[in-house]
Amino acid sequence: MLAVTINGDRQQFPAGTTILAAAQQLGLEIPTLCHDDRLQPNGACRLCVVEVAGWNRFATACSTEITDGMEIRTASPAVEDARRTMLRLLAADYPPAACEEAPEKPLHRWFREYEISPSGAGARSCFRDAAHPYLHVDMAQCINCSRCVRICDEVQGQFVWRAWNRGAETRILPNAAACLTESDCVSCGACADTCPTGAIQDVSERVHGAAEQWTRTTCPYCGTGCEMLVGTRADRIVQVLPALDAPVNKGHLCVKGRYAFEFTHSPERVTEPMIREGEKWRAVSWTEAVIFVASRLTAILEKHGPQSIGMLGSARGTNEENYVAQKFARLVLGTNNIDCCARVCHAPTAAAMKHMLGTGAATNSFDDIEQAGGFLICGCNPTEAHPIVGARIKQAVRRGAALIVIDPRETELAQMAAVHLALRPGTNVPLLNALAHVVVEEGLADPVALQERVRDFAPFREFIREWTPERAATICGVDPARIRAAARLYAEARPTMAFHGLGMTEHVQGTEGVMALVNLALLTGNFGKPGAGVNPLRGQNNVQGSAHMGCEPGHLTGFVPIETARDAFATAWGGALSQKPGLNLMQMMDAAGRSELKALWAIGYDVAFTNPGTLQTHAALEMIELVIVQDLFFNELAHKFGHVILPAASPFEKDGTFMNSERRVQRVRRAVAPPGAALPDWKIVGDVARAMGFGSAFRYTSAEEIWDEVRQVWKAGAGMSYARLDRQGLQWPCPDETHPGTTILHTDSFPGSKTAPLVCLDYKASLDTTCAEFPFMLTTGRSLYQFNAGTMTMRTPNRELRATDTLDLSPADGAQLDLREGDTVSVRSRQGSVLLPLHLDPRVKRGEAFATFHAREIGINHLIGAGRDREVMTPEYKVVAVCIEKHEGGAVP
Amino acid sequence: MNPAPAIARPPGPRFEAGAEVESFYHLVGCDLSRRRCEGTACFVAQKALGSAPVLPAPGEPRIACLGRCFEAPVIGLDRARPRIEVQAREGVVLSRLARGLDAGLAAYQSAGGGTALAQALRGQPSAVIEAVIASELRGRGGAAFPTGRKWSAVAAAPTPDTRWIVANADEGDAGAYIDRFILEGDPHALIEGMTLAAFAVGASRGIIYLRHEYPYAQEVLEQALAEARATGWLGGAIRGRDFAFEIEVFVGHGSYICGEETALLHSLAGQRPEPTIRPPYAASRGYLGRPTLVSNVETFATVPWIVERGGEAYRALGFSHSRGTKALSLNSLFVRPGLYEVEFGLPLRRIVEELGGGLRSGNLKGVIVGGPLAGIVPPHLLDTPLGFEELHAIGAAVGHGGVIAFDHSTSIAALVHHVLSFGASESCGKCTPCRLGTRRLEEIFARAAGLAEGPGTIRAEVEELIAVLRQASLCGHGVGLGDFAASALRYFGKELDACWP
Repeated sequence: MLAVTINGDRQQFPAGTTILAAAQQLGLEIPTLCHDDRLQPNGACRLCVVEVAGWNRFATACSTEITDGMEIRTASPAVEDARRTMLRLLAADYPPAACEEAPEKPLHRWFREYEISPSGAGARSCFRDAAHPYLHVDMAQCINCSRCVRICDEVQGQFVWRAWNRGAETRILPNAAACLTESDCVSCGACADTCPTGAIQDVSERVHGAAEQWTRTTCPYCGTGCEMLVGTRADRIVQVLPALDAPVNKGHLCVKGRYAFEFTHSPERVTEPMIREGEKWRAVSWTEAVIFVASRLTAILEKHGPQSIGMLGSARGTNEENYVAQKFARLVLGTNNIDCCARVCHAPTAAAMKHMLGTGAATNSFDDIEQAGGFLICGCNPTEAHPIVGARIKQAVRRGAALIVIDPRETELAQMAAVHLALRPGTNVPLLNALAHVVVEEGLADPVALQERVRDFAPFREFIREWTPERAATICGVDPARIRAAARLYAEARPTMAFHGLGMTEHVQGTEGVMALVNLALLTGNFGKPGAGVNPLRGQNNVQGSAHMGCEPGHLTGFVPIETARDAFATAWGGALSQKPGLNLMQMMDAAGRSELKALWAIGYDVAFTNPGTLQTHAALEMIELVIVQDLFFNELAHKFGHVILPAASPFEKDGTFMNSERRVQRVRRAVAPPGAALPDWKIVGDVARAMGFGSAFRYTSAEEIWDEVRQVWKAGAGMSYARLDRQGLQWPCPDETHPGTTILHTDSFPGSKTAPLVCLDYKASLDTTCAEFPFMLTTGRSLYQFNAGTMTMRTPNRELRATDTLDLSPADGAQLDLREGDTVSVRSRQGSVLLPLHLDPRVKRGEAFATFHAREIGINHLIGAGRDREVMTPEYKVVAVCIEKHEGGAVP
Repeated sequence: MNPAPAIARPPGPRFEAGAEVESFYHLVGCDLSRRRCEGTACFVAQKALGSAPVLPAPGEPRIACLGRCFEAPVIGLDRARPRIEVQAREGVVLSRLARGLDAGLAAYQSAGGGTALAQALRGQPSAVIEAVIASELRGRGGAAFPTGRKWSAVAAAPTPDTRWIVANADEGDAGAYIDRFILEGDPHALIEGMTLAAFAVGASRGIIYLRHEYPYAQEVLEQALAEARATGWLGGAIRGRDFAFEIEVFVGHGSYICGEETALLHSLAGQRPEPTIRPPYAASRGYLGRPTLVSNVETFATVPWIVERGGEAYRALGFSHSRGTKALSLNSLFVRPGLYEVEFGLPLRRIVEELGGGLRSGNLKGVIVGGPLAGIVPPHLLDTPLGFEELHAIGAAVGHGGVIAFDHSTSIAALVHHVLSFGASESCGKCTPCRLGTRRLEEIFARAAGLAEGPGTIRAEVEELIAVLRQASLCGHGVGLGDFAASALRYFGKELDACWP
């Protein structure tokens, strides 16, 4: 500890503390403009200068670390004079109106406190941009603090804001563009967040005014689990800011988390329960709706039995709600027909990792990114689909970490990668096998790991000998030399961290692909230590939690197999659990098609839109007698097949917890009231349970009560009380209230075993293949500005940033087909056809195509075939042979 | 030919700097052959010699200085050499130039060049550092930092690959043309000095950051480097030792601030050349984040002498905390302008009156020693000895060694306006005092000098601005401009007070 005297007050601080931080700890505010804790100190504005005894000149508090015995005066007359002089210089060309419009911006506060009135017209010729839906720019208010430039570089890694010229002529402009929307800007809003003057400002703040109240909660979009502060005014969200101390996002957010909240206040929200009467919907009271649902379910149960009813939990809902949903299915309906959208995304990951490692979840944490020597990014596009993770990986790579990307497309990370393996869709297994071959044959395996923690190496070595890069190359189309380079890099950059996404799982061999990735990690010892592991990037805020709470036919809360835990849960719940295996989502659709599924209750899950083979899905849904839709909006399922719609509260309107990709449980808190009669999912399900005679098992009055019940039945979660979660999220296993949570799994052993097995994985090709009639291989995926079914983002100004889906095709293929950018193309697969606009994209290889699946009016899932993962039935969204033709009928209808 | 050093670019297309960095510089692609120099020596010469000041046309870059102060005022480039004399007991940096030797390797060798390197390579690197420490040599670029300490720090800094040697040949201080003639006339002294430094600190790569205004120096340097490579004085296994060193030349694009060490290193890396706060120091995290030794040309050129003759021999020259010799460049208003190598301790009066022979134009009004970022020495203080601390005490500095005398045809208000106008146009704009304060002072002094109309000024505002520049600027640019204005106020306050409108 170092002793310093600040304004006469002698105090001790640890070495490395800056004068600014020390002063802050003493409750002294030193004025700053260019400082932001998220950025490296810059020492440019000089407003934070202080006097240090014995120094010839002032020191900048932001950048000067204390030394023992330092005597500091933070507000001596000379220092205050210097600050006043600098503020006067800034005020000379500053528009006074800006201070009135946003009085709490730091610069405006300091003007006020030093009694300086801006007198300038702000007439300098400078950049203005009012065309962006979220960011308003008026650089007449720019004071050259460069926070926008630096946060764009140092945090987001986008390099959009650039300083031009020098001296007083310095101007900040977006890169290579006349406006932000044409630049490389990804609309993360970090620049507006950090700007101390409002030169760059959130449009929402300008339109709705400053927030009056802030509520800390967890982002409702992807599975990264960013924590944010929701600013509200008159029960309306006006601004969202990142929580600066959040472990995952560390003061950063992406365009979806920060800006895409407008859906909450959409006039299209369902605000009262409604029952279908012929072609019309009749608004009803909750009492009537609950009686309707309960009586119809009871009638179907009596007539067709529990196996005739299916229930879908929501990956958008809280852990508590998913727990209640699966408890309802199992206890009230007496069926294990309960599933969630993990089925169509990471069920193969859960199965593969559970099988090999004993836990079906990410082995490491996002905080390992900064400790990794390298990254293996497989079939995921984090800079678009998990932007905060993507930004952290980009920064790590800028600092020198190795990067290997396996992706058919040249994604943003692939452009930065040391090695990009642009494989053919559907060939993960042979490619990963070949990587393992190189690791084994070139002696790159970790001998200690093989000795102590891995079993079945001998048969694996025999098996993998055949998987030469040359052999794999004939299947996956990747140059063998690149495969070798990637394998060496993965092994030698240790610790190497693997991230994977749906480009691994949504295949016929999805589970096997993930197992092949686990093989690689086991061989190289990339597990059980910082900066390593196999880490699925979960697509939705709570898809990890949804399945983990038991919205999974074969598993109960805590992802324990139902066979082993049935009796314990029966005791805890006070009722028997069905012995019959439950149907998963795909089996439910099959059963519906055979008229065996009579009722479906879908909570926050638009299966009519998102399931593969839309026409086939619709034909099956058509057969169901009772479709109960519980959602924020009249989704496709409600619109086409629903019999009753129950209005649900959005994540901004309720309390609970989400579980992110790294097993972290974090609080969700109500920031605004739900519109009309909308209710949290757990209340709706609980009301129906009561109406069906199960009131005693659903006597919850708060989300916390439900969570406390979850902690009783799930041992690894027992330590995560709300009292603790209110301070900070916790990662399971966390078995008791003194346990700190677990950031890295398998450090000493795997659940139930010291060792994990290597698995020999033969390659069985996907059924869908290209041919003369269907010459292009289509994969589908997500984009930065839209999210999944578009239910939320399509009802926000994100629509201005990306209005619809496109078919992305290489320019060379476009030229060969005589297609131009924006042409409407007809895309036909063996399953169906759609029309959509063409986008020529050099990131797509020849012979391949890519499309997003967000737009209702396009419905790309019409094209998806019947291929399913052989283990867990996840549909093969990523491998679709199509033909592409110019549509002569004009624009998309 | 302008071979950029191998800049390790971070991956990815988004990381590349573009035209916005280029826009920082004012001489990108600029042909200097017909440009009027607006350096301070030319400014005072125009006043003294009666020719009207010519301002650049709007949009034209402002040139200062072309390193021809001994024949100011000048237009364009010229190869003419000034008078060059050694006026010290030993000639360390100017002796070969004074003898009129050519820039070739043969001439350099014939005068004993290369002996130091041969001698050093027979011993240990630490011996070279010890000699430099013993010499008490301080940096000749203006900061006067003890050179030996810097070398020790670079040698001690850990690095995963190489360390770098960077010669700061961005001699931008108006009035200084010392490095120019070392570069053009004695390049092998620089090369040998850099090579000795590389051997001493364990560096394998070197860069000479040469200012755009010195195109002749570039020709000479490329020629000299080629000769050195051909003779095995550069490259792999230098003189048979397990020691490899290569030097490249990087030509700047026009920016005074690039003479500042951190700005120079950013410029080399293709980044916006703004000074950054220290620490980290270049010695530990310099070019490309690697330990880097940055020194100016004269400093490197001094090293072979020290290594050959021993640190003590060098320390025996000079006085006080200012040891050895210093090259000075005298402007055209002197009777005998030119380059003089003198020992520290020599009173300024002897420099002005004996070496320079006094002014040829009129009575001496003041001497600007060490460039525009220091101060003015009034005639009554000419007995001050040449020394870092001694000049600092009277608000001036040794600086780069430029000596600009001016006479009564130069008004102080106009001179201060000239310097601040230069300073404002060369400010990088990063810190508030320098970006806006120099511009504001320029406006005020324009009115004081009768160059512009405007509302009246109170001296209090000038003092306030000067105080904030000196106390709160990020780098020496703002501080030095504040020092200059303060010195004007201190010694010429009466004249200035009569000028405030």
